[in-house]
Amino acid sequence: MSSRAEPRRSAIASGLYGLLNPIPFGCFVAALIFDTLYLRSGVALWNKGAAWLIVFGLLFAVIPRLINLVQVWITSRVFATRIDRLDFLLNLFAVVAAIFNAFVHSRDADAVMPAGEWLSVCTVVFLSISHLLVAVQSTRLKGGRP
Amino acid sequence: MKNSLRRGAFALALAAVLGGCSGKASLEPAQQSGSAPPLPKAQNFLVPPMQVPDKAGWAQGQSPKVAAGLKIERIASGLMHPRQLYALPNGDVLVVESNGPGSEPVTTPKQLVAGMIKGNSGKGDKGGNRITLLRKAGGAAGGEWTKHVFIEHLHSPFGVQLIGDSLYVANTDAIVKFPYQSGETQISASGVAFADLPGTINHHWTKALLASKDGAKLYVGVGSNSNITENGLEVEYRRAAVLEVDVATGSSRIYASGIRNPTGLQWEPQTGKLWAIANERDEIGADLVPDYLTSLQEGGFYGWPYSYYGQNVDDRVVPQRPDLVAKAIKPDYALGSHVAALGLWFSETNALPENALPEKYRHGAFVAEHGSWDRSPLSGYAVVHVAFEDGKPVGAPEPVVTGFYSDDEKQLYGAPVGLAQDQDGALLIADDVGDTVWRVSGDTR
Repeated sequence: MSSRAEPRRSAIASGLYGLLNPIPFGCFVAALIFDTLYLRSGVALWNKGAAWLIVFGLLFAVIPRLINLVQVWITSRVFATRIDRLDFLLNLFAVVAAIFNAFVHSRDADAVMPAGEWLSVCTVVFLSISHLLVAVQSTRLKGGRP
Repeated sequence: MKNSLRRGAFALALAAVLGGCSGKASLEPAQQSGSAPPLPKAQNFLVPPMQVPDKAGWAQGQSPKVAAGLKIERIASGLMHPRQLYALPNGDVLVVESNGPGSEPVTTPKQLVAGMIKGNSGKGDKGGNRITLLRKAGGAAGGEWTKHVFIEHLHSPFGVQLIGDSLYVANTDAIVKFPYQSGETQISASGVAFADLPGTINHHWTKALLASKDGAKLYVGVGSNSNITENGLEVEYRRAAVLEVDVATGSSRIYASGIRNPTGLQWEPQTGKLWAIANERDEIGADLVPDYLTSLQEGGFYGWPYSYYGQNVDDRVVPQRPDLVAKAIKPDYALGSHVAALGLWFSETNALPENALPEKYRHGAFVAEHGSWDRSPLSGYAVVHVAFEDGKPVGAPEPVVTGFYSDDEKQLYGAPVGLAQDQDGALLIADDVGDTVWRVSGDTR
């Protein structure tokens, strides 16, 4: 989301967004690490850990995603940049992939793989691109000023 | 355009989730019975099929339906989750009131959700952790038998066997031995620890028990600690096996293995061979894998977890073991998928009084099917009879007692578990959802 000052934005919404939005990314990255460890070791514990991380990542994503939906498409519609809208869509794709992944991770033992690993990769890639785009946009908007 | 993209993504997600929910059964349990059941291709689901009726219990005067020529009566009610029955030589009947110890930790989000859904059926209700003795009320036939609290403070007991004057009770983690005298209605002596049984996690907690005819050995059915090794292979030590315990010393060894959940053990009367019923694996299809009834070979390996029905490999297990798959014995007789066979009883062929079961039920095995939770439509929830000829099962299982759920499959009145035969040769059925013991006999009217 753009860091341009927008008068109609609620401070509470922005605060909540800033607080909660990083959590799902952390959970999904950790899930990807756990999935990879499971693939390499076959130890069921990693698999189960990943299942919890994906579910908690999704739960923590609910509020920031709703805030983002309202800000990008309704309240700050005029101010939203192309990157803001792309960020919204990439997050949406990541959440959809993670929902599928939560179901795939509910399977028993090795039935989780390889689909679980690929879905974890997709989720993390979508979110990484969105984070990169938003970071680059924020640097540009500051116009090189310190 | 953006809106249509969003709508597209949601539609796709919805379609996939719903697609994962489908998986209706295409085979009737009877079609999947016998020595060569058709086995469809295994599949993985996003949401495995799940259908669980809500516990309703039996209304006043309501009872299960019986096949033509039979009648059914209630001989005990108000029990605390009766799971197993055992007829003592003097005609008293022991009812083991029990359920899982609840020692399996919730380690996945799925367990959390599935536990809540399955709980609605009443199958998860708390057990009494005790044994109640039923004695036929003197005089007039019919009516409920008198109840006596026989042994209390057990730990998820299931199997019971009497050898001489010692009563062996299989708790979920150990066999305990009690002194027994014919005719007594209560054992107040505390049990003596006799033999340890695999007691960690207890995903499958029941320990079926059967004594050899000479009283020298006890056979114990020990279920696996998972559906398909999702808790790791290390917790499957001495699990999914039938153990043979030496009665003189309490030492034990694995008699047969690779049997996912052997819930019932009995001697086939004609051949004297050991037979078992077993519950097979879940979540690879509504029509996979059929539960079975099989004779057990000493040292035999029956596939779990690496394969089912002989050499059908289950690719959910790591590492794979082609060497063990090659050795896997195909079970003798399929009962149908997910019927959850939990009670086995060979109808005795010796002298039966006049009010016993009709002739057609005197040669074969009764199997109590506790009923499915991961299949639509429901399967099991019945007591069936499998006819035997020359010590081998023949034909399709024939329903004997049914009507445990409502026609719309929404309400569950009861679920059959343990089986026994009383002194008159009538079939007794423990019903752990209806908290009742039923008695089925020939309708001589």
